[in-house]
Amino acid sequence: MSTLFLVDFNVLKPDIGLIFWTVIIFLVLYFILGKLAWEPIQKALRRRDEEIQSSIDEAKRAREEMQAQADENQRLLIEAREERTRIISDAEKQRKEMIAEAKNEARDAAQKVASDARRDIDNMRKAAMVDLKKEVGTMAIEIAEKILQKDLKSDANQEAFVRELVRDLN
Amino acid sequence: MTSSARLFFLLLFSFAFTYVSAQEVDDHGSVADHHSPEMECGSHDEYDPAGVILHHIADANEFHVIGDFSVPLPVFLYAPEAGLTAGFSNMFHHGEVAVDGYVMNHGRINRLVDAPAGLMEGDHEVECIAHTSTEVDGKTRDMYYALIGGERYLLDAPSVGDGGLLGGGITSFYDFSITKNVFTMILASLLLIFLWRAVANGYKKNEGKAPSGIQSLMEPFFVFLRDEISIPMIGEKHYERFQPFIMTIFFFVLFCNLLGLIPIFPGSSNVTGNLAVTMALAVISAFVAYFHGNRHYWEHTLWMPGVPPLIKIFILTPVEILGLVIKPFSLMVRLFANITAGHIIILSLISLIFIFGNNGESVLGAGAGAIVSVAFTLFMNCIELLVAFVQAFIFAILSASYIGAAVEDAHHHDEAGHHGEEKVAEGGVMGGAVTGMHTAAD
Repeated sequence: MSTLFLVDFNVLKPDIGLIFWTVIIFLVLYFILGKLAWEPIQKALRRRDEEIQSSIDEAKRAREEMQAQADENQRLLIEAREERTRIISDAEKQRKEMIAEAKNEARDAAQKVASDARRDIDNMRKAAMVDLKKEVGTMAIEIAEKILQKDLKSDANQEAFVRELVRDLN
Repeated sequence: MTSSARLFFLLLFSFAFTYVSAQEVDDHGSVADHHSPEMECGSHDEYDPAGVILHHIADANEFHVIGDFSVPLPVFLYAPEAGLTAGFSNMFHHGEVAVDGYVMNHGRINRLVDAPAGLMEGDHEVECIAHTSTEVDGKTRDMYYALIGGERYLLDAPSVGDGGLLGGGITSFYDFSITKNVFTMILASLLLIFLWRAVANGYKKNEGKAPSGIQSLMEPFFVFLRDEISIPMIGEKHYERFQPFIMTIFFFVLFCNLLGLIPIFPGSSNVTGNLAVTMALAVISAFVAYFHGNRHYWEHTLWMPGVPPLIKIFILTPVEILGLVIKPFSLMVRLFANITAGHIIILSLISLIFIFGNNGESVLGAGAGAIVSVAFTLFMNCIELLVAFVQAFIFAILSASYIGAAVEDAHHHDEAGHHGEEKVAEGGVMGGAVTGMHTAAD
């Protein structure tokens, strides 16, 4: 039986016709499927891979851009805040300076006015004094002239007058 | 599906199987005369499982469907002395008519040897085909004779490419017919073309969109073969050139395997379990690899640099040249053995019905045999389904590794080489395990 098995086992005998047809069918199938399916599919898959990759890259780029934008916004905000603080503090300083300046000016002006007034008063007082002295002198001289004209006509009177003057001097 | 419906189909199926197989016993199973010296025509009742099984796994010129009905297949026969004979296989009437000296012997066409010129032309009635075994040079050889008009004539089988090693060799004619196996290969090719054309159309239709339908079903296969076979085996740089080849070889082998598992027409041919088919495929893969082999590859194969010339001449180069032959040889034998073993096991299990039933005498035995046989056949079919995929995968991955070795560049030789070898070893273990299992069960 075993010998029969081997001899009859004709799938082991490579039939020339079957080899011929296998080669023809396989090669024809390879070329048809290559043209019809493998090339288009390979191309489509590659294109899709590239699309997916580019979409991912695009998304990453967009995210980075957005991040950069957000960072920029943050930076601008911080800058604006600093600017505001700076402006406010500047204004505050300026205000203080202006007030102080105004105060000083006012004080200076007031002092000037006061000193001017004092000087004027002084001057006027001095002038008044001069006038007064001149007036009093004139009046004294006039009085003296009148007295002298009236009393000094007699000797007694002259004498009494001198005495009186002398007494006054004491 | 409910369990009762499932059971019903199982029973129906097993009855159908029993019927078909029973018919075939009558048709071809009667080879009980292989030791009888006298040539007689007559029916033999003894059931011969080996004969039935070997008939079923063999190629045939007609496609047997059920009972006496066979699908006729085109026949192209070429004899150097008589030229081409063409026609359809039904002109032989299952072996009852000889046409131009050709006779159908158990599904295969044979040619009369040393017949008178009158018999080599036109139609003649054949009384029967007889069979004997004779000792030739210490080997038993099967001889088939056709009885025509009371005379017996020796029959010649078609030429085979075994170089006479297995009892074949070049005979008086060549058979280029569309046999059962060729028919199934064409069917598998057409199915593949329809399937993948639909998939490719999906890419045109859904351009820039997500895949849908059959396209999304088959795309994972393409991507899997690309990412798991082509890229790791052949490398990023070269894989695109060979991806179509790997895809074609994987799907061709897979579809032939799967069609072989369908027990009824148009399946049931043992295509990838025929050495001629696997030989052709293995040689094509080897040619693809060796044809694309670069200078670096051939230098390392034929004249390994950095090795003393004496070792090169006597050891390394002969071994490498042997390797060039052994690589496709292993591809050829692995696929052939796995698929044939699977078919033989399933047919053996089916034969249990007739062995237990004592060839129709014991209905109870046949019933018991049917229950056992259906359970085991179901189990084996599941394993065969796995084997169909695994063997297609292994064939593709090994082809890719041979191509990868041939095209790899000189620089990153080490890492790519080791990676490839690792994968190959893995594949070999898988193949070996499956083969081993079959042999044990056989």
